[in-house]
Amino acid sequence: MTLSRRSFLATSAAATAVMGTPMILRAQPKEYVVASSLPLTGPFATAGQLVSPAMKMFEALVNEDGGIGGVPIRTVIEDSGYVPATALANYQRALATEPNMVLYYGDSTGFMKLVAPELKGKNATLMGSTSFASDLANPAENPYQYLPGPSYEDQVDILLQNIKNAGGTNVAFIFSNTEFGRDPIEHGRKKAEKLGLEVVLEETTKAQGADIPTHVTKLAQSGAEHCILQGYVTGVWPQLIGGARQFGLPTQFYGTFWGMEKLIADRVTAEAGPFLDGYSGVMPYRYSYDAEEAPIYQRYAAFQKSAFAGTPLENYMPTWGLQSLISMNLGVEALRRVAGKGEELTAERAAEELAGITDYDTGGFFGGPVSMKNNKIGTGRVYTYEAASGLFQPTSDWFTVE
Amino acid sequence: MINANLKSSYAADERVLDNRYKQGFVYGSILLLALFTLFGSDYAILIGSQMGILLIAVVGINVLTGYTGLVSLGHGAFVAIGAYAVTIFNNVATGIIPAGIMPFLSLPFAVFLAAAVGVLVGLPSLRVKGLYLAVATLAANFIVIFLIEEELFAPWTGGMVGLTTNAPNFFGWVLDTKREMFGLIAVLGVLALLAAQNLMRTRVGRAFIAIRDRDYSAEILGISLLRYKLTSFAISAAYCGLAGALFAYFYARILPEQFELALSLQLVAALIVGGLGRTMGPVFGVIVIVLVPELIKITFGAVTGDAAGMAQLRAPLQEIAFGALLVLFLLKEPLGINQIVDRILRAANRWPFARG
Repeated sequence: MTLSRRSFLATSAAATAVMGTPMILRAQPKEYVVASSLPLTGPFATAGQLVSPAMKMFEALVNEDGGIGGVPIRTVIEDSGYVPATALANYQRALATEPNMVLYYGDSTGFMKLVAPELKGKNATLMGSTSFASDLANPAENPYQYLPGPSYEDQVDILLQNIKNAGGTNVAFIFSNTEFGRDPIEHGRKKAEKLGLEVVLEETTKAQGADIPTHVTKLAQSGAEHCILQGYVTGVWPQLIGGARQFGLPTQFYGTFWGMEKLIADRVTAEAGPFLDGYSGVMPYRYSYDAEEAPIYQRYAAFQKSAFAGTPLENYMPTWGLQSLISMNLGVEALRRVAGKGEELTAERAAEELAGITDYDTGGFFGGPVSMKNNKIGTGRVYTYEAASGLFQPTSDWFTVE
Repeated sequence: MINANLKSSYAADERVLDNRYKQGFVYGSILLLALFTLFGSDYAILIGSQMGILLIAVVGINVLTGYTGLVSLGHGAFVAIGAYAVTIFNNVATGIIPAGIMPFLSLPFAVFLAAAVGVLVGLPSLRVKGLYLAVATLAANFIVIFLIEEELFAPWTGGMVGLTTNAPNFFGWVLDTKREMFGLIAVLGVLALLAAQNLMRTRVGRAFIAIRDRDYSAEILGISLLRYKLTSFAISAAYCGLAGALFAYFYARILPEQFELALSLQLVAALIVGGLGRTMGPVFGVIVIVLVPELIKITFGAVTGDAAGMAQLRAPLQEIAFGALLVLFLLKEPLGINQIVDRILRAANRWPFARG
């Protein structure tokens, strides 16, 4: 082939075009930041102190897998003391000091609601949290906030369905006089009616230091076969069940996510005897000891054994930690999808990709592949506590509610 | 005692800013605030706004506790009343009152409602004093929060779930950024401080001080305890109501849990640390209560880095450091930081002569 002037020019133009095209169209940051507010002090310090190391494990494992689009992540943890305004200040501080923040993890319904109207324009960040409040699963209003599982309403749906399947005819709701406690009650009442279950009692209690004998007496008078407890974390629910057993009530008790922690049930059993035996509740995830079909749990367990030796996390990851891990895994998955398309990691794009997650294999957190619908994953199953083994064992199939 | 302030007329003696230092300080501060509003970082603006809102409430507590000598542990309630009143007024009056003039009506409404409830809460002060009054006012906090959370009023107050608030709209200028809001807060904060300083020049302010120093002596002098104690409650509640209204404007949502006892205690703590019965006391108090924990957080963060276990360890340490600092301030100077600053300024003023 002779090199004519025309072909020379064409070849050099093509070569210039190829060499001149930047490999990456945009300058990539050195690292992405995943920031969080956790209650490291205050009433839920126990939970915050256990979740905090899980964040660091999350960081290590995400980076082992190549970070987000090849860029490593760094986690930042701040204490909120479980005060929404403090968590908001933490978020604002992170916004101001971490220009590459791509994901935030909040620690209360209060914070999520306080921050929601602020998530606009450059102040928006994809945001998971510890809350399963039904209001937060609202992509039309809060496109950037999501639930890493079923809302409290969904959880009560799962419980009511389970009660119905077991041949139950009536149910009582006992809940704390907090936003957290009241969240699913109205919906639960309607759902029970739909299923043909009679609601024989709706009883509010204080979130801490409730008057147990009065509530137990009312429960006894109502003649409830089943009772759903909502809005408690460490206290009240064990005392209520203990009080009912002392009273000789045969009522079957159920809890939702925050009332299903093995560490709490074990401690209650050790201090007050095996009266929680048979207590059931809904849990969106497998427990960490149920790792056979959960490769990601096996990976966590190996990490925990070496990194957290001598701490409570060495052989067990609390449900609170699992919730944080799956929440951030989902966020990172959305961000990876954006990065995979070579686009900038904006909150808008991340939220779009998150909403588009379908039939996604979480590595075993849930019973099977899951989909994000209305910024939540409506899947869970019923577990029952065995005081002898100290384990919550599955007693139902995986339910998915819309 | 500040010397070298010669006043040659009554007019000079009666001025709010009665010497050149004060004038220079106030004008300088206003200039700094203006520059800060324009150039402060978003984060600094957030912290500044939090301080400004708290400051206005603490100025209110200062009128009651610092000047009149009446202790209240229930002023969080008035902040709540201000916040909810401005939001509910806005929600109810939308469509009836044009949006552009809404704050000119809703803000005064919130302030007056808080003042009116303040009078009601102040009634026990006529019979009880000191710790007994503190306990009596404590009830205000619980009652107001209880009513806000009550299902019956939930259609207006939002109950447990709280309310989404609106940004203020002044003749079409919507203050929907934190920076704009800081501007408003700063203006009202400075006005609140100057108004409190001015109050003490008036007959009312002098009556407050007389009541604080010895109430029955004041009564013998012809000061009506009923009138002035309730006036003091009303004024301090009005300040807190204004702070609450700004709180509602500033945050996009208000929740009842934000106005619980902890807030009332924080207000009193800020005043005690800053200096009771001094105009600048609330300013120093708020700096310590809001800014110092942030500084401790930043310092600890810089020292310890992001290492895995550090955040866990850091959080409780920060709380301990803050607590220890408060105790230290109170031990070193029970009259508050204002007194420490006074002493330093006095020494500087007289340098190189006598100190103290």
